[in-house]
Amino acid sequence: MNRRYFLGQSIATLGAMAMYPAIGRASNLNKAEIIVVGGGYGGATAAKYLRLFSNYTAKVTLIEPNAEFISCPMSNLVVGGSRQISEITSAYSNLSKRHGVKLVKGSVASIDGEKKTLKLASGVTMKFDKLVLSPGISMMMDSIEGLSAANQSGATIQAWKAGPDTVALHKQLASMQDGGVFAISIPEAPYRCPPGPYERACQVASYFKQHKPKSKVLILDANQDVVSKAGLFKKAWAEEYKGMIEYRPQFKVTAVDAKTKTIKFEVQEDVKADVLNILPAMRAGDIAVSSGVANSNGRWANVNYLNFESTAVKDIHVLGDSIQIAPLMPKSGHMANSHAKVAAAAIVAELNGWDINPAPMLTNTCYSFIDAKKVVHVASVHQYVAAEKTFKTVPGSGGLSAEPSVLEGIYAWGWARNIWADSLS
Amino acid sequence: MKLIKSISRMACVALSMSTIAISSSVMAQSKPIQTKSAQDLYQRGLAATCANCHGTDGKGVENATMPVINHLNSEQILTQLKAFKSGERQGTIMPQLAKGYTDEQMQSIANFLGKK
Repeated sequence: MNRRYFLGQSIATLGAMAMYPAIGRASNLNKAEIIVVGGGYGGATAAKYLRLFSNYTAKVTLIEPNAEFISCPMSNLVVGGSRQISEITSAYSNLSKRHGVKLVKGSVASIDGEKKTLKLASGVTMKFDKLVLSPGISMMMDSIEGLSAANQSGATIQAWKAGPDTVALHKQLASMQDGGVFAISIPEAPYRCPPGPYERACQVASYFKQHKPKSKVLILDANQDVVSKAGLFKKAWAEEYKGMIEYRPQFKVTAVDAKTKTIKFEVQEDVKADVLNILPAMRAGDIAVSSGVANSNGRWANVNYLNFESTAVKDIHVLGDSIQIAPLMPKSGHMANSHAKVAAAAIVAELNGWDINPAPMLTNTCYSFIDAKKVVHVASVHQYVAAEKTFKTVPGSGGLSAEPSVLEGIYAWGWARNIWADSLS
Repeated sequence: MKLIKSISRMACVALSMSTIAISSSVMAQSKPIQTKSAQDLYQRGLAATCANCHGTDGKGVENATMPVINHLNSEQILTQLKAFKSGERQGTIMPQLAKGYTDEQMQSIANFLGKK
């Protein structure tokens, strides 16, 4: 090493230091193109909170194919007919008007993680520095023989993504004769919204009780037992819906025949029903699979829980139902909203050149309607455990309702209106 | 030759150290600002775990039928959080959620949400 080298090196070092404020990481936040894909509970919240946490300096674009946000939580009330779809629908416009998020209506056809580009179905290519992917779930229709054909013929509807199908499923119930059977089949966990199918059974039974009292609800569950709020649901079925709701565990659907409305199982005898709500196994949204982030069995996306960055593709952060969950972490709207805030804060910190929060927290709150008014809840608090690189529930926290109550029904609507505003307004 | 090498090594170490010294003085100037901003962000993120039910920055939607905390100051929020955690105040979800936070986290949440 010689003197000239030393000088050269130190000048270079000083030069780099002088330039640091101008071109360093601190300025990356303002320059970065951040694109959020999917405007559900995860994506919409991420878009809003990226703007909030950056004090409105980050450039954020949200790509979403639907014109309006229709909430999956509360949508079972629309299936049961006690509420209208308009009551669970919100506009996306406040994200742009109040928060300066650029809204793009469209679907993402492909993502190139290496080139950091994505292509819309319309053919437009967009560049990104950070991508937040929140595509929800995709139904594995091929996991049940005849299901795709049954859906195409209109014989079966899942209505597991709230929207026109939610209304269509209620219409099927409304046109069913009294004395008919509604059958809902549940795939093995994990799937979107663990208590959702059991709540739906309650809502359909609540509708039958008022309008078609001779009818029956059959729950055909691939799981060993009720996956969520088991004691509370079973009590409600035994007391409020005695003789109307029948629960059958370990019934794994293998096929469905649309013409005869028959469901076939791995072990048991066939079942016939009048309205069939067959929920197949689920996986991360299609774009998560095609972009290569669904690296857990090709079904879910493994992420670094500190910032929700994909473990497969750098600078792609995956949120919500698409991720491989941590222990006792449900695939819920509330949880997706919580993921989004941790990811948004981590992205802002990283682009500012700050350390990301080493101890993020998540909460989950989930209300289920037993009938049109009474509700039960499950709640949990999750802390990041550095030694295990995962989220775990805080010992002693969380829990269930003691019993269904009208008060919690009131809170459930309060929760819905506040989380819709927190995610979208 | 050996001597030159050792002087050269010493100079190298000295220069590296001075570079480190300059770097750390730059760091010393910028780090507290960064740290303060980062800490503010962490605090905001922690308080945002309340927003799902009580509104962004603790400003709940009108007529949302959820107990509102909009009008509470930091001290009042902290008192209620502690009462839920200890069991002094009954409730539905809040006693269960409050037990998931440390006293320091509650203080931080209350400080942030009470500043309106």
